[in-house]
Amino acid sequence: MILNYIKIAWRNLVKQRLFSLINITGLAVGLAVCMMIMMYVAHETSYDSFHKNADQIFSPRASIKVGGTTMSMAYMSYAAADIIKQRQPIVKDYMRTMAYFKPVIASNPEKPDSKYSEKKLLFADENFFSFFSFKLISGNASNVFDKPFTVVLSEDMAKKYFGDENPIGKIITLKTDSAFTYQVTGVAKNNPSNSSIEFNFVTSNQSLLKMKEASLYTGTKEISFGNFSIYLLLNHASDTAALRRNLDLMARQEKTFDNVHYSLAALPDSHLKSNFGDSSNTKYLKIFPLVAILILLLALVNYMSLSTARATLRAKEVGVRKVAGASRKTIATQFYIESAMFATISFVLGYLLCYAFKPWFLNVLQLKIDDTFLYSPTVLILLFALLILTILIAGSYPSLVLSAFKPVATLKGKMGKSTGGVVVRKVFTTLQFAISVGLIICGIVIDRQLYFFRHADTGVNRENVVMIPVHNTFGNNYQAFKQDIKSLSGIEGAATSHYAMFGGHDMNSFNGKTKDDNIMVSSLLADDQYIKTLGLKWKYAPAADQKLAGMDRLVINEAAIEKLHLPANPIGSYVQSGNQKFKVIGVLKNFNFSSLQSEISGLVLYIAPDNMPFFSRDGCSLLARIKPHTNLPTLLGKMQAIYKKYDKDTPFDYTFMDDAFNAQYKAEDRLASIFGVFTYITIILATLGLFGLAAFTIEQRTKEIGIRKVLGASLASINTLLSRDFLALVILSIVIASPIAWWAMHKWLEGFAYRITISWWMFAAAGFVAVLTAIVTVSYHAIKAGIANPVDSLRSE
Amino acid sequence: MIKITNLEKFYRTEEVETIALNKLSIEVKTGEFVAIMGPSGCGKSTLLNILGMLDDPDEGSYVFNGIEVAHFTERKRADLRKHNIGFVFQSFNLIDELTVFENVELPLIYTGVPSAERVKRVEEVLDKMQIMHRRNHYPQQLSGGQQQRVAIARAVVNKPKLILADEPTGNLDSSNGNDVMELLTDLNEQGTTIIMVTHSEHDARYSHRIIRLLDGQSVVENIMV
Repeated sequence: MILNYIKIAWRNLVKQRLFSLINITGLAVGLAVCMMIMMYVAHETSYDSFHKNADQIFSPRASIKVGGTTMSMAYMSYAAADIIKQRQPIVKDYMRTMAYFKPVIASNPEKPDSKYSEKKLLFADENFFSFFSFKLISGNASNVFDKPFTVVLSEDMAKKYFGDENPIGKIITLKTDSAFTYQVTGVAKNNPSNSSIEFNFVTSNQSLLKMKEASLYTGTKEISFGNFSIYLLLNHASDTAALRRNLDLMARQEKTFDNVHYSLAALPDSHLKSNFGDSSNTKYLKIFPLVAILILLLALVNYMSLSTARATLRAKEVGVRKVAGASRKTIATQFYIESAMFATISFVLGYLLCYAFKPWFLNVLQLKIDDTFLYSPTVLILLFALLILTILIAGSYPSLVLSAFKPVATLKGKMGKSTGGVVVRKVFTTLQFAISVGLIICGIVIDRQLYFFRHADTGVNRENVVMIPVHNTFGNNYQAFKQDIKSLSGIEGAATSHYAMFGGHDMNSFNGKTKDDNIMVSSLLADDQYIKTLGLKWKYAPAADQKLAGMDRLVINEAAIEKLHLPANPIGSYVQSGNQKFKVIGVLKNFNFSSLQSEISGLVLYIAPDNMPFFSRDGCSLLARIKPHTNLPTLLGKMQAIYKKYDKDTPFDYTFMDDAFNAQYKAEDRLASIFGVFTYITIILATLGLFGLAAFTIEQRTKEIGIRKVLGASLASINTLLSRDFLALVILSIVIASPIAWWAMHKWLEGFAYRITISWWMFAAAGFVAVLTAIVTVSYHAIKAGIANPVDSLRSE
Repeated sequence: MIKITNLEKFYRTEEVETIALNKLSIEVKTGEFVAIMGPSGCGKSTLLNILGMLDDPDEGSYVFNGIEVAHFTERKRADLRKHNIGFVFQSFNLIDELTVFENVELPLIYTGVPSAERVKRVEEVLDKMQIMHRRNHYPQQLSGGQQQRVAIARAVVNKPKLILADEPTGNLDSSNGNDVMELLTDLNEQGTTIIMVTHSEHDARYSHRIIRLLDGQSVVENIMV
């Protein structure tokens, strides 16, 4: 019996090629999008759960209140973990890791020519490979770090520096504050893509302690904030409440800070729940599943709509089968099996599509997902669930409608205007277009907001400014470097500042009105060329004879006036930080020194005198304004040559300020590109659906069209007649989608301090696209029916 | 075999109520070959649909093989129908996507006959209808007469007690039409009860008895000799 069903389903598929194609590809595209997003979400939520003790490992996170601002700290001092373990017996074991904050120069002494700058050097306690579940390909987890200056390489690094040789026992040089040689004691599998701990090289904290710079990171002997990620292994996950209370208690006894509160982040949560760095993933995780559901729904609705429309052609078959003894149940089963077949074909096609477009998708999201993850049981189960869900939904409505046909009516050809599901199909079409229109509106708003970001006047002249990171390897030469760059013919001006523009700032505490009142203000250290080079504007310029640079003075921005409780024109006023007094010598107009997502906050600018070597220890950033119409490659080449004069080893690196500015919106950029594609997909799906539906509806009215033509109807009037009904649905869908899209985008825009207003034309444009698409689609069929010879259509009845 | 008493069927639209069957009472005995005749709109097809349990009456009683079926649910009717009744239509009503063999096989599938048995029975009946050589063709590839023979083959493959034929020769030329009537007569002689709706006096002469309907009522019964 099932064979019979599959046979007839296949023959129908082949006979109705166009509609089968529309049906299958529509569903396949929807499924492909759904699969991609499913894999992405599954990957994001699976972070760190591959560790065998994942649910027993927790990281303390401290939040401190300083001067009204709550700061969250994820990194702690080197001593902290040990102290916690000694005082808290529920902590079984601990692990401290420190990801070295900048690239290191790595080389194999046997091949002195091959020097590379490498990221992801990880310092960790000796038991790293037994505490976590990273797999060692060679080497023994219990003794790889028995001695200092031993290193475990990732598979990739082993290959890169030692080729096919066995690296165990060999030597590799890693240059941190100075070059150290390490003995390779193990090779580890590359860390999985869903690991929040990343490494190319792992070495022990014992090695770190032997370095000169160690005191910077490991000096503190108490529980405090620092540079280490701390992982505590507990006996039971339920011990967290007690541990958190005890940590708070300990913090109060130590009195380092007044208002410290600890929370404990479970290891698998650390990826999504810590909002350090790029928070874009969390944003996508909220939006994408919703979009995936909408697209799948659209594809399924499309499928159901077309199948039931096609049902009229199958009515006779249903009638004959019923007369031949089929019950409603057997007919329903038949159509279910047919749907299952269609869905399975679509699923396979969808999987192929998903596979083909995966690299693009991951590239846009700047993600890496291991292939092994894509074939892991989790993903396979999810895919299987998706297949079942698709079959269940896709088959439900058509089989219900088709099995309800009355044999008497169908056999006598009285089906007429398909009594089955006209209303439901209208609802389906409206729903499809509502989803499309909604997404188009969202797409337009996102695009406009991004345009606004890129072109907003932020008070900084971002054009033609190149920023070069200057490392502490320059020592005091950073000033000479600046002078050399300045003397190049293509350079208009150059300045030095502690951080690159949009690359961060410090926070400084100033005394408030009372003794306990601390005011936290953003601060930046720069030289006296900074303001001029960036084209910052004065609100209250300093007196003409006033020297900007000096340790007893500072420049503030407008926002800082109120923040620091200063008079409206604060020139000449004093602010105090601890015991140090500073004179306010000038006020700058507000400018965006960070992203437009947040409002401009108060800023103090310390101007460093040239004779004081502020930047030799930490390094700094050189900002150089290039004259317009300069040959960039030549200029950059000259800059590189100068750079190499002072630092041979560190690769020359540069960023243009407007790139850095735009990079702040990469989360939104990615959102916009993905959204764009999703929107096109929904439009195509909705159009396909309408195309199929129009074909059938019009086919059913062939006789009516014939009669009207015989009576003298023009092609235009027939087109109007046939398009009118569909247009009404599309307009209804615009009415439904607009307020929902408005609400969603209103919410999204609320996340930005500087934003566009949603205006009426965005809705009008989306509506226009929908109406135009509908008219073109329906007219194609309407005109085809209209120009047909009425004699043929009338004879066919 | 069949006894209907005071059967009534109405068709209602918003404004008009049409009486299709008006207190009709008919009896058909096992082994009979009955022709139903009458002008268009007299209720012939409605009667046939009710007898075939494709439709239910509004009033009255319908006893089939001693069972009152007038108010059976669709499922029960379908069940009774598939084991007892075969249909032959004017427009053949073959499924275009199935071959001759598969079309004839259909009723056997629905009554759960095992596969090997099905092949045997379908081949037997195709042989009898002399369309064995067309078994792998699709309906569109056959002539009208051949299609109707397939339809009859499908109607009888399940060895039904009753065959309902709705103008079985209506779409055929006279030579093919006569063939079909001969087939029906043969089946009747082997014991199958046949009720046939027809416009053709010629065809009606093959039957034992003609029931003439007018406005949903039986007006005359002619007994053929």
